Amino acid sequence: MADKSKLAFRALIALCGVLLVGEFIIHRHAYFAFEATPLFFIILGPACLALMLVGGRILHLLVSRASDYYEEDGDA
Amino acid sequence: MLSSALSTFFAIPGLLLIVGAVLVPVLPKTLRSLYMLGLIGLSAAHIWGLERGIHMTAELAGLALVPVRTGELSLPFAVVFHIAAALNVIYALHKEKRRTLTAGFAYAGAAIAALYAGDFITLFIYWELTAFTSVILILAGQTPNSMTAAMRYLLLQVGSGVILLAGAALLWRSGAPLSVAALDAMTPAGMLILIAFGIKAAFPLVSDWLQDAYPEASPAGTVMLSAFTTKLAIFMLATCFAGFTPLIYIGAIMAVVTSFYAFIENDLRRALAYSLNGQLGLMVIGIGIGSALALNGAVAHAFASTLYQGLLFMAMGAVLHRTGTAKADALGGLSKFMPLTALFAAIGGACIASVPLFSGFATKSLTLGAAAKAGHEVMWLVLLFASVAALLHSGLRLSYQAFFAANADIDKQQPREAPRHMLLAMGLAAGLCLLIGIYPQPLYALLPHPVDYKLWDGGHVLGELQLLAFAVLGFIWALRKGLISPPQNRIVLNTDWFLRAAAKHVILDIARPLVRLFFIILGKSRDALMQLLTLSEETSRQSGLVSGIASTGAAAGIFLAVFAVMLLIRQIM
Repeated sequence: MADKSKLAFRALIALCGVLLVGEFIIHRHAYFAFEATPLFFIILGPACLALMLVGGRILHLLVSRASDYYEEDGDA
Repeated sequence: MLSSALSTFFAIPGLLLIVGAVLVPVLPKTLRSLYMLGLIGLSAAHIWGLERGIHMTAELAGLALVPVRTGELSLPFAVVFHIAAALNVIYALHKEKRRTLTAGFAYAGAAIAALYAGDFITLFIYWELTAFTSVILILAGQTPNSMTAAMRYLLLQVGSGVILLAGAALLWRSGAPLSVAALDAMTPAGMLILIAFGIKAAFPLVSDWLQDAYPEASPAGTVMLSAFTTKLAIFMLATCFAGFTPLIYIGAIMAVVTSFYAFIENDLRRALAYSLNGQLGLMVIGIGIGSALALNGAVAHAFASTLYQGLLFMAMGAVLHRTGTAKADALGGLSKFMPLTALFAAIGGACIASVPLFSGFATKSLTLGAAAKAGHEVMWLVLLFASVAALLHSGLRLSYQAFFAANADIDKQQPREAPRHMLLAMGLAAGLCLLIGIYPQPLYALLPHPVDYKLWDGGHVLGELQLLAFAVLGFIWALRKGLISPPQNRIVLNTDWFLRAAAKHVILDIARPLVRLFFIILGKSRDALMQLLTLSEETSRQSGLVSGIASTGAAAGIFLAVFAVMLLIRQIM
């Protein structure tokens, strides 16, 4: 299993490498000016991930409760 | 005469399933499945042959009704509803209760019939029928939680129907036709109807019924629930409110907020309910933009989402069936024991994340293109964010927590692979998802407008792959660095808190003192009340003021006369 995981990870690294090279070969038709920024999508993916991690952490602090939260009040 | 009446009756799409559900509980198991699949096939053949336009009219209490009308959006929704109904029958073959199968079958029929309702009164009937049949699926969960969740669900669903009827009444009063068609949302009638649709489409603040109730049903019940109600609402929004700009922002809120909830929710079926809500948000954005391409995107996305969301719910239902739980903190390592289920979950995850060659890419790209062409740059970014978020919560996190994270308890339990019929249903759904992704033209041909969009543009495919591949890389890095917290057996509060906790406190803290005050006032006026009762007793006894001057028969006669006059006045008015 560990070998398969390593292989999958290496395949992902290779894919990312190819996509990075593709950035300079394939022309992207940009609808918006900011979209034409070099490496736009390569940066946007991890940026969305960072937003999810930070937003998820904050939301967890705000709304996470013990699993018996409603039962405490007598609600089934 | 009878055959003519019957042919008219069964000309209503979906009615075959609603009426046919009556026999489902009494048929033996093998015959039952064949019977249900046969009826679905007949119903599908019927709707396939329906041309656009009005097929049936009727009159009820002076109201001109249109029980059957094929709109431009009816066919794609009806096709996917039939596919979903058939997949549900296969998925539920194993040990599903007869009441789940019966209710699910009638529920599918009601949803299909609603797609062809040509007026709001007919729609109201099927709208409420979907509520009453679907609540049985939640009740069939047979846990204390499912009972209370079902009541909260019914409260909002029936409430939606009542609001719809109120909107229809206002529409009728204003002299406008009752036909299901484009409406002005800024009129009182239009606003009420929009709210009714919004409740079933799980708009912000009225969405809690979805995450609250869906995970409480049985594995097959949740799959059935995921297909119809919300997509019917999307169909209605697209029919009546296409191009209503505020929908863009409502959809964006749905897509963004639910993403975070889905990411932190421990119950993976509830996480999928949030995920479903987010996907609805993307469709609502498309409806709000309202261009031909955006509407095509919303409809195509509804079609594909019904299948891949159903696939994800099926996979988690199979996990629940085999392990007894769908909680992330109690799962892990299932890929060793349920490899095919893991594969199907991964395909569902790839679809929802819009990976090229999977269905989500072929459908969401239309909405993305529409947002770009309309100059909605923020919405364009929201759509891209939603793709990455879906990849994270419904693709990577769900697969990792259920199938790949280490879990010694699961290793000890050694659960078996999902039953064959569940695998068959998942396999068929996965096959359709791939087919749409690789060759979307048949789906595009069903859409309301000709599709003018170049899907396989090199730059577009490259951008999407870059977005997702580097997000996956980031996820693995974050996992290794411990930046992604391990799941905990906790719940997250949503707007259902207002119903479950706040309303209770309102009753206890505000209503109870008011009741106490009422009784104090009542106590103070006890003397006055006693005097009133004494007077009443005196007047009504045998020789009292009232009964003393007329016999009982005469009194009844007087009452009936007064009642008749009142009825007459009411009739004249």
